[in-house]
Amino acid sequence: MPQADPARGAQAIERVGCAACHQIPGIAWPQGASGPSLAGFADQGLIAGRLPNRPDVLTAFVRNAPATLPGTTMPAMPLTKEEARDVAAYLYATGSR
Amino acid sequence: MQPAAANTGPGWPASIFDPAGPYAGSITTLSWLLLAMAAGVFLVVLVALWVALFGKHRLQKRLGGTRTIWIGGIIFPVIVLSGLLVYGLSLTRNLAEPVPANAMRVRITGEMWWWRVAYLDARGQPVNIDANELHIPVGQPVVLELESSDVIHSFWVPQLSGKLDMIPGRRNILPIQADRPGTYGGQCAEYCGGPHALMGFVVIAHEPAQYHAIMAARRTPRQQVAGRGEQLFRSTGCAACHRIAGTDANGIAGPDLSHVGSRSSLGAGILPNNRGTLIGWIGDSQSIKPGNRMPAYKMLPAQDLAAIATYLEAQK
Amino acid sequence: MKSETGFDPALYDRFPTEGERPEGELEELERIWCAPKGWQLLAAVNNNYVGTFYVGTAFLFFVLAGILALVMRVQLALPLQGILPQETYNQFFTMHGTVMMFLFAVPMMEALGVLLLPQMLAARDLPFPRLSAYAFWAYFFGGLCFFASIFFGLAPNGGWFMYPPLTGMAYSPGINADFWLLGIGFIEISAIAGAIEIIVGVLRTRAPGMTLDKMPIYAWAMLVFAAMIVVGFPSIILGTLLLELERAFAWPFFDPTRGGDPMLWQHLFWFFGHPEVYIIFLPASGLVSMMVPTLARTKLVGQNLIVMAFLATGFISFGVWSHHMFTTGMPRLSIAFFSAASMAVSVPAGIQVFSWISTFAVGKPRFNTPTLFALGGLITFVIGGLTGVMVAMVPFDWQAHDSYFIVAHLHYVLIGGMVFPLFAALYYWIPMMSQRALSERLGKWVFWLMFVGMQVTFWPMHILGLMGMPRRVYTYLPGRDWDTINFISTLGAFTIGLGVLLFVIDLARNFRFTPDNDAGNVYGGGTLEWLPTGLYSTRSIPVVKSREPLWDDPDLAKNVEEGRYFLPNSATGLRETIVTSPLRAEPQYLQIMPGPSVWPLLAAIFTAGFFIIMTIQAYKFSFACGILAIVCVLRWLWDTDRLVKEETVDVGAGIRLPTYCTGPSSHGWWATMVLLTVVFMIFVMAMFSFVYLYGVHPRFWTAAADKWSLLAILPAYAAAAGLALLSRHMLAREKTEHWTPGVLFVLAVCALVAGIGIDFWSWLRSGLLPTTSGQGATVYGLLSLESILVFIAVLMAGYISARNGRALIVRPRNNSLDLCVLFTVYAALEGAVTAILTRLFPWV
Repeated sequence: MPQADPARGAQAIERVGCAACHQIPGIAWPQGASGPSLAGFADQGLIAGRLPNRPDVLTAFVRNAPATLPGTTMPAMPLTKEEARDVAAYLYATGSR
Repeated sequence: MQPAAANTGPGWPASIFDPAGPYAGSITTLSWLLLAMAAGVFLVVLVALWVALFGKHRLQKRLGGTRTIWIGGIIFPVIVLSGLLVYGLSLTRNLAEPVPANAMRVRITGEMWWWRVAYLDARGQPVNIDANELHIPVGQPVVLELESSDVIHSFWVPQLSGKLDMIPGRRNILPIQADRPGTYGGQCAEYCGGPHALMGFVVIAHEPAQYHAIMAARRTPRQQVAGRGEQLFRSTGCAACHRIAGTDANGIAGPDLSHVGSRSSLGAGILPNNRGTLIGWIGDSQSIKPGNRMPAYKMLPAQDLAAIATYLEAQK
Repeated sequence: MKSETGFDPALYDRFPTEGERPEGELEELERIWCAPKGWQLLAAVNNNYVGTFYVGTAFLFFVLAGILALVMRVQLALPLQGILPQETYNQFFTMHGTVMMFLFAVPMMEALGVLLLPQMLAARDLPFPRLSAYAFWAYFFGGLCFFASIFFGLAPNGGWFMYPPLTGMAYSPGINADFWLLGIGFIEISAIAGAIEIIVGVLRTRAPGMTLDKMPIYAWAMLVFAAMIVVGFPSIILGTLLLELERAFAWPFFDPTRGGDPMLWQHLFWFFGHPEVYIIFLPASGLVSMMVPTLARTKLVGQNLIVMAFLATGFISFGVWSHHMFTTGMPRLSIAFFSAASMAVSVPAGIQVFSWISTFAVGKPRFNTPTLFALGGLITFVIGGLTGVMVAMVPFDWQAHDSYFIVAHLHYVLIGGMVFPLFAALYYWIPMMSQRALSERLGKWVFWLMFVGMQVTFWPMHILGLMGMPRRVYTYLPGRDWDTINFISTLGAFTIGLGVLLFVIDLARNFRFTPDNDAGNVYGGGTLEWLPTGLYSTRSIPVVKSREPLWDDPDLAKNVEEGRYFLPNSATGLRETIVTSPLRAEPQYLQIMPGPSVWPLLAAIFTAGFFIIMTIQAYKFSFACGILAIVCVLRWLWDTDRLVKEETVDVGAGIRLPTYCTGPSSHGWWATMVLLTVVFMIFVMAMFSFVYLYGVHPRFWTAAADKWSLLAILPAYAAAAGLALLSRHMLAREKTEHWTPGVLFVLAVCALVAGIGIDFWSWLRSGLLPTTSGQGATVYGLLSLESILVFIAVLMAGYISARNGRALIVRPRNNSLDLCVLFTVYAALEGAVTAILTRLFPWV
């Protein structure tokens, strides 16, 4: 993904606390389990089991999941558009399972 | 893969060799002295042992005999120990000196597995209730009244003082003091079952003016917004265990949430406080701190969790 | 020369005797002492067998608890590992501590005592072989069942220190805590049994002429060790009893809302728990003090100073228990006292360390495996001692307490002070029990792996503690700078594990048990255990004239083997040993010893069953086991205390000794006195609890029983004591009826029952219940202790009547009756003190 920086994405993940519900490679603590593990996200076919796993969809989903996929259990997170893109880049960069 | 980022409770690392106030500082001095003593004596023993095994015959002859035992095993230790004892006891006396009667007092009660914090007025009445976090002004002693409401815990913030147990049926008094502003981490030191390993605490020392501003802000009644979050907070039963000042949420089984929005950490000093951790904690705290007393609220939809989080974030 | 018993020391000059011994004596000894074969070997009671089983079992628990530790180290190698879930980890660390302390360290030390002491003292066996067997089997079955709880997730999880209220019913509702309380129960019984055996063995079965100052230093260590068990264990026995009563029946000993106090448990626990460390260290120090002279090929420098150091350690260690409680907010004055005492206890340790250094300086040490382990132990122990001085400084302890600094400290003390000396001892003494010695080459590998592993594991933990890492945490968060250090520590732990594994391989390759065809004195030791032996111990029992008889008399082994000393044969055709006087070891009488028996084994199985089954709350089965255990004990006792047809026998060189002895010189009397000391210490701790709770919460002290009831209780107890003494007196009078002593004794016990009955009745009438308050709990606690004594006295009454009926209570004096009378008089006294204290305290 052009212009996206996985390192900045990691900082954003820490700041908003994604790991409180998801296991995310490279994020040591916390390692919540109420949401699915995000390890090997690049190899996943669908986002949340329903949406196509594309960078633009993921960017929109991490920022405002209910708007992207009504009825999801994932809440909206206070991320800017750029930060959301960085987060998506980070998730794709964590490698395969 | 990115390197693991340290995103744990604030105030760490917290070494006793980096003291932040006089109570911890004098113990640090003592610790260095003791370490030097131990190293010195160990060296003496090693040299004696070396001579005994490999030394010149002349030296071995001087070492072999009851005189060695008298000097090395009796006279030498008695002198070293007496010196240490006198110094140690005088230090104990200094540390246990009564702090000024007008010192600020805070009652901290150990709970399984968090800390109840009550700022007391001059008459010993609680004026402000909080949990898991203590704000203090720098440069003055603060007296902690340590109690427990269930099992034995032990209060330990290494950079501010030694530890002291919290024992049911008793009240222990611990003075602490920070001489520089900062955040100081601590952890329960007496095994208290279950997630004892995840029972952290944070002390935040401010310049006095800033400290008084924080406390003054807490005393002014807040405009409560009656929104969806507030409704959910009541309807899902949060209020049965948690109190929020100025509302009819007055449960006391769990931590007081009147100021949860301003806290630096969640889950008793173990999580950073942000939107994600707040939502994650409410939704399923058991996956983060197994065994803690808060049930998981997995049945709440995302919007509800977010609404409750918004409501709590406003409780500064 | 003075004499203690009237024995003429000039008689010793008759030895070694001249002339050939008659044919067939040795064969008879072998026949009498031979062990049962096949499955019946389980009924063996000889110390060579029981001691070896005992050491092996203790070592098994060392390995098991070590495996628990390795798993815990994996969990802590990195932050937030998920190898062990929280609850499992909490069970693991509780079991690691408990098993290492109660199932490895203390039993191992008793086991070595059972194995080594008779050989060192040249006794045929310990004075109560069946008691040793019982102690071992109770420990074996009970220990294995207790350990198995971990496989069912039922293992205790409150820490080896079991602090209430966490271990109370409110916060530990499961049966896990009961496993600890009841599981430790039988181990305490086993330890006490061993201590009695060792005290009487050391003081009464030494070879003739082995005066106290010629006694091997190890025997001194074991004497102090056993005495400390007798004084220290009662405190934990009472503690576990009280906590179990609180859990089962809600008697509020530790509940502050009802006049109890959680601190009471800490006092009771540490009054045992701190001396426990020295209980473990002293025998190990004794072993080192035996080995160092041999390894350095010279006499021990400052033996008398070491003996003084043992005694001083034993004494001071009972004055330091509160240093585990410096962070509980104790008054400053007590802090000063306990801090000073904790430092003082390091002086005796210094004496021992410098004595060994000095001995090495005098001699020419050989660097074989035992030497390496002794030196490694010394260095490690010194580090542990120095950090011990550090934490005795109260302000430093406020930081270090309950942090990893303490974990490091205690492992330095225990591994340096006990585990390394133990391995030295295993290498050193295994040639005494095995056809082959262990491998020197492997042994050096074992040592270096364990020594380096030990330092790498535990040295970094000092730093962890000072960086704020508390103990007993199942995980820790990243970002605290603890990660790397923990990882290094885990690597060290596996290095130790590798060393132990190599040792096990060495054992499997080279250890072949044999009582008589052993590898022998490979290190050239000078004490009696290196005489040629069989199951009967030495062929004849030598006269001891120095501390290292084998070095001073090169012919000794030959003369002993040719039967030129005491008891070259079996004088009565039974198992026997010479009982000597406690100070100067003058021969007093010939003790007839029991042979193999299945009853101690069965009694042990049912005792363990009683406790373990009670844990899972199958009360009917549990009590059935309890009754069966009592039946087995009585059955085993039934064969004992019999007369043989010879009143006196020739024990060599024409010296004649009686074959039966009663009163204060008999070994049974001594054992009973030691047992009563244990009972008395339990009583003292119970009285302490009573007074202590009043001191903490006087406002709960509301009820008072009728003081006038003392007018009935005290005469009842006086009658009990008087009638008991009278029965003993009447036995000596030929004119009385055959049944008189038995009937009088039964009446005495009836008076005891009346005493405790009235006491109970008067308290129940006062309206105070055990669940009401701390006062009620402690009052009924004291009454319960007395009830247990009365219950035992009732059993005794039945036993004495049965023996009397079979004409086994012989005139003019009989040990069975004597000892039961002694017990009854004591029970009456304790009952009287209980009645007075509970009614008149506080004195207003």
